[in-house]
Amino acid sequence: MAEADHPTVLVVEDEAPLIEIYARWLGERFEVRTAQNGESALEQLDEDVDVVLLDRLMPGMSGDEVLAAIEERGFSPRVAMVTAVEPDFDIITMGFDDYLTKPVDREELVETVDRLLSRSSFAGLEQEYYACVEKRAALESAKSVEQLETSEEYVELTERIDELRGRLDDAIPDMGSGDFVAMVRDIERGSGDGADEGSGGPDGREEGR
Amino acid sequence: MTYVVEGLTDSTVRFDDGSSLLVTGSTSAGRAAALDVLDDISGSETVVLITTNDGASSAVDWFDQRGVDTTVRLGIVDASGSSTPVPDGLPVERLGSPGDLTGMSLGFAKLAQRFEQAGSGDRIRVGLVSVSTLLMYADVQTVFRFLHVFTSRIRSGGLLGVFTLEPGMHDDQTVNTVRAIFDSEAHVVEAGEVELRGTGFTQS
Repeated sequence: MAEADHPTVLVVEDEAPLIEIYARWLGERFEVRTAQNGESALEQLDEDVDVVLLDRLMPGMSGDEVLAAIEERGFSPRVAMVTAVEPDFDIITMGFDDYLTKPVDREELVETVDRLLSRSSFAGLEQEYYACVEKRAALESAKSVEQLETSEEYVELTERIDELRGRLDDAIPDMGSGDFVAMVRDIERGSGDGADEGSGGPDGREEGR
Repeated sequence: MTYVVEGLTDSTVRFDDGSSLLVTGSTSAGRAAALDVLDDISGSETVVLITTNDGASSAVDWFDQRGVDTTVRLGIVDASGSSTPVPDGLPVERLGSPGDLTGMSLGFAKLAQRFEQAGSGDRIRVGLVSVSTLLMYADVQTVFRFLHVFTSRIRSGGLLGVFTLEPGMHDDQTVNTVRAIFDSEAHVVEAGEVELRGTGFTQS
C-alpha cells in the first residue's frame, strides 16, 4: 500500500550520472521513473505521473517540444524545467510550472517537487472552499441577521469555511511569485480542477483537457 | 511588524503583515480610501498599484499629489489599455485587458522582483483598483479564485493588500462571496466617513 501512495516523479535528463543522483535523492519519498530523452519520456508518461522534471536542452526532442507533446496527450502533470540559465517568470506562461537552475542540489530538488504537489492539494481544497463560500453568500443574501444566527446550516458552513481557510494557508506555506503566477494561469485555463465549471480564461486560450 | 495607516479613519490603523483589506464604496470614494492606505509608505516600503480603469499616468499623478516619492517607490500594472507615457524609469507593466489575470499576476511578480533586487521587496503595499472591473470580464468563481490566490501570496510574503469593490454594481451574493476572502473591510459610507471591521488590524 505504501508504494502505491507515493507520488510519481518522472526525471527526464540526458546525462546518465545526473539521472542517477536525482533518482537517489527522490527515491526515498517518491516513486521515480527516468528517461534519457524526450521520446522515452513520452513512453513512460501516463496518468500516474504527478511531476515531471524536464531538462530543457537535450539531444533530439527539446524540453519545450516534450512539454507540448505532454499537453497534446491530455495528461496534466506539473512540469518543472531544469535549465542552465535562470529564466524569467515568462516560462510560466509558456506552460512550465516551475524551474530549477543547474547545478541542482538535493534540498532544492525535493522542495520543488513538494511545492508542485502542494499546489495540487491547494487547488482541490480551494474548490470546496469556493463552494462553501458561495453557499453561505446565498444564505446571507436571502436571510436576515436574526435568521442567520439561528440557522444551523449557516453556522456549520462558517465553521467549515474557517477550517478550510486554515488548511489552505498551511498548504503552501511559502508561496512565491512563481507559484502565484502559475496558479493564476491554471485558474484561467480552468485546468487542474473545477474544469467542469468551464471557468476558462476570456481570451479563448486552448483548454486542452 | 505592521503597516501603519493614517487618514483612513479618525485614528491610526495598524494592519498586520500579510493581511488584505477590501474597500467598499463608490468608485471615486473607494479609490480615495485605497490611496489613503497605500500612500503612507515608510522605511523600505514600496507600492505596487494594479489599475483597471485609469492609466498609469493618472495613477502617478494621484501619488504625486499625495507626496509619495514616485521615482523609486512605485510600480504600476496598467490594465486599462492606456498608453499615455509615464516619467522615465518608473516601472510599468502594461496589459491588453483587465481580463488578463495571468498577465496581471505576471506584472505584479515582475515588479515585486524588481523591488526585491533593489533590496526593498519584502514590504510592499499592493493595491488593486478595482475588483468590480474584473467581475465584468470574468465570472465570479474565476475572480474569487484569483483574489484568493493573490491574497494567499500577500499573506505568505507578509505584504499588505488593498482591493476596491463597488457593491452597487453587483448583486448581494457576489458581494458577499468576494467579501469572504478578505481579513477586513473598510466601508466608505460617504467621503471621509469609513467603517472598518474584521480582523488583522488594530486602531489607536
